[in-house]
Amino acid sequence: MTQRPPETSSSAGVSRRRFLQGSGTALAAGVTTSEASSSAGPAAAPRLSGEVEVTFQLNGEARTALVEPRTTLLSLLRHHLSPPLTGTKEVCDRGNCGACTVQIDGAPAYSCLTLAVDLAGRSVRTIEGVGSPESLHPVQRAFCEQDAAMCGFCTPGFVVATVAALEQEPQASLERVKERLSGNLCRCGTYPHIFAAVQEVTGQRTDEVFREEGR
Amino acid sequence: MEPEIRWKDRDDLTVLDRSLPRVDAVAKVTGTARYSHDMRLPGMVYARLVLLPWSRARIQVIDLAPAQALPGVVHAALVEEDKELVRYLGDDAVVAVVAAESPEQARDAARAVRIDWTPEDNPLITREQVSEEDASSLARRGNVWQSGERGDEDSTQRALQGALVMVEAEYSAPVQHHACLETHGCVVDFRGGDEATVYASTQAVSNNPRSFARALGLDSAQVRVVCEYMGGGFGSKFGIGLEGRVACEVAKALGRPVHLMVDRPQEFLMTGNRSGTRQVMRAGADRDGRIVALHVEADKFGGVSGGSLPTPPYIYRVEEAYARIHTVHAALDGNRAMRAPGHPQASFAMESMVDELATELGMDAVEVRIQNLASETHHRQLRAVARAIGWDQHPFRTSPADRPLESHERPPGCPAAPPGWMEGIGFAVSQWGAGGRRGAQCEVRIESDGSVTSSCGVQDLGTGARSYVAAIVAEELGLERDQVTARIGDSALPPGVASGGSVTTGSVAPAVQHAALLAREAMEERAVAVLGGETGGFSFERGRITRKDDASRSITWREACALLGEEPVSVVGSFQRELHQGGVHGAQAARVAVDPMTGRVKVLDMACVQDQGIPLNRATVRSQINGGMVQGLSYALFEQRVVDPDFGAVLTANFEDYKIAGAKDIPRMQPIIDEGDQRSAVMGMAEATGVPGAGAIANAVHNACGARVRALPITPDRVLEALGRKG
Repeated sequence: MTQRPPETSSSAGVSRRRFLQGSGTALAAGVTTSEASSSAGPAAAPRLSGEVEVTFQLNGEARTALVEPRTTLLSLLRHHLSPPLTGTKEVCDRGNCGACTVQIDGAPAYSCLTLAVDLAGRSVRTIEGVGSPESLHPVQRAFCEQDAAMCGFCTPGFVVATVAALEQEPQASLERVKERLSGNLCRCGTYPHIFAAVQEVTGQRTDEVFREEGR
Repeated sequence: MEPEIRWKDRDDLTVLDRSLPRVDAVAKVTGTARYSHDMRLPGMVYARLVLLPWSRARIQVIDLAPAQALPGVVHAALVEEDKELVRYLGDDAVVAVVAAESPEQARDAARAVRIDWTPEDNPLITREQVSEEDASSLARRGNVWQSGERGDEDSTQRALQGALVMVEAEYSAPVQHHACLETHGCVVDFRGGDEATVYASTQAVSNNPRSFARALGLDSAQVRVVCEYMGGGFGSKFGIGLEGRVACEVAKALGRPVHLMVDRPQEFLMTGNRSGTRQVMRAGADRDGRIVALHVEADKFGGVSGGSLPTPPYIYRVEEAYARIHTVHAALDGNRAMRAPGHPQASFAMESMVDELATELGMDAVEVRIQNLASETHHRQLRAVARAIGWDQHPFRTSPADRPLESHERPPGCPAAPPGWMEGIGFAVSQWGAGGRRGAQCEVRIESDGSVTSSCGVQDLGTGARSYVAAIVAEELGLERDQVTARIGDSALPPGVASGGSVTTGSVAPAVQHAALLAREAMEERAVAVLGGETGGFSFERGRITRKDDASRSITWREACALLGEEPVSVVGSFQRELHQGGVHGAQAARVAVDPMTGRVKVLDMACVQDQGIPLNRATVRSQINGGMVQGLSYALFEQRVVDPDFGAVLTANFEDYKIAGAKDIPRMQPIIDEGDQRSAVMGMAEATGVPGAGAIANAVHNACGARVRALPITPDRVLEALGRKG
């Protein structure tokens, strides 16, 4: 059910009541921006049941987890592991923002769009596997130095995306870095500081990103 | 004896006024910082709100039974018994709550709740719809009412007629979302009994216990609110909200900890926004560019709330001004405070109008501003950003560019427009009251092993508050910043203040400094016993306490602390008026590129000069300045809530439809701390930096190609339309 209201203006004389009445529940399920707000009946909520065993590498260690087929990697990390790994953040839960970025076999991936069952035999690295407070990754150290975190909620995703980018392209130019980080969103506006951190790691000039006089 | 209440001289500072990594940087970059979203407690259940995403829905049946029958579901309840009507699409559209053992099961349960409903004929979205004769009333005073008026309309009309040039224009700005990356919500740990702990994503830790206590049926003293980290607030997270009250209800019903964070679409639909505006302006200027008259009729679009807009004229001096403001309600989520509520809207319109007058007169965009701004600080700052952005080299200072720039027409190192694109520069200014308020306290504790703790219940929204709670104490005691541990974000600590109006720094930093001064005095009393001399006669530098009158008489910090034995120093400082001030100023400039073929706008460079008294940490001040510019850019070019007026549905309730600025949109940035401000006081400045960006960018677009876009966001279609209008 992906029906959307036709693009009309109110002056077109479409009667809201006439259009929606009787089809109210169907429209609610189709147009709604939140599945939580759907009003479909019980029959319309098919559930996949049963759990599947999946074995994969998580931050360098073999892990076996029992997951439902619909469980995302993001949910597995944050809710179903014991202890949970909550460094990976849930923000949009639909592949828009990059806060949930992890590395799968080295490549950056949105964990909210990855089903846990698809991980069999693969290797996952989360922010917890990048570095620790006692042993920071150079990218993490540069993020600290360049003040590349404000509220910090997007930061783990940006760190992992940056690590993945520089592993694949250690001397990435500023333009390439922006390209590679364009799948991650920050609301506080730390971007120039993130770019400066990347420049610091790659040994390039940081004043292309922002200039500050004085101390 | 009370110590002298003062900040150190600027030249003597060794910890403050420096660029230091924030104290929680490591926690943030390693993912070890725990937000409310991340709390996991034994026996915790996941609750989910059920929201009907339509304005004005008449409810026939809400059937919870299908949800209750699902595995793992432990709770399903109506939010309001016998609810018949969703009055507006906001928190009033939340009709039920479910809770389950896992988030997936909670989602299943929310999906299974059956709601039979029919729409009301009038969804009450547009001004026309809410003005219809038989439209239901959304507010006590009606759906459209005059909420502000200032000035003399007759004399303003006369002044307009006498002006040399007159411009009439309509400016509009859409509803903008806070879009906090951590959604609203909390984890309520209440298992019956007479105490509870709530992990809340809030910008008012010390104020929240009262509200949670009321919802839980406890006293404030029985509720502890904790917010060590929070993923953005921007003004939307003061109260506990419907989601907080419902979480408490679920906890009471189950006797188990409850995790209730709203989902992303709900975040867009029910947690507040920046109100939209429409401002119809007529302004007149004389030969010298002085604004002699301004007539404004404005609408504020704040949904079921009143909307925000400071009464014009905004910042600029105008000889005769008249403004009439109407609040226009709609059956949509009410606006909340958002980083300088009302001000970016006012700034966009006023700065555009100032620019339009300058164009009519053929005047320089900087000079016309200086002519109409009262504050010398603004004059200095405008000249500084003009220099930084390359205004002096710019060949089109009095009229829009009619050709692409050549490289010598930019300063060295300045980013250039792509070939064939036009390039322009624009300006805008800001000012903000900031200041501080009473109520904040800070405890400093010094132990005999030399460790120091500085504690205040204030929250850190990402501004760096946690860092200065430590840094201020280290500065006064002559220690390294990392020798002091900051404890914040807990209502069990001495109270902080709510973070609104950029008053956090002006309120909390003075209390921390007062505590530091008291701690210093307490240490001096101990030092007298071994070094002689008298209190007030010691310097605290580089980990030593030394007699000022005899430098050979000194002890190390650790030796001094060892004298404490079983009696640690514990002092509580409070807000001290003389340590803070109000009144910050800023100026911004933007250099943009416009593709005349497609209407695309790319910001190339932005500069901001901002004052703030003593910069407590230059790194975090720069971050605030850059953050304000980025949010201004995002507001200028991208952000727009879109509502379908026929069906009363919000069409932009996730980030794929509601665009905010991303990595590729970010220009080179020049955050400039105003060294001309030598006030020996602290003050917040975050909100001021978010105000001028949209006006500066809109003016730069005009300067680049002559397209005057009077509606935000400045999208390619609007640029092309404006270019077409120009002919």
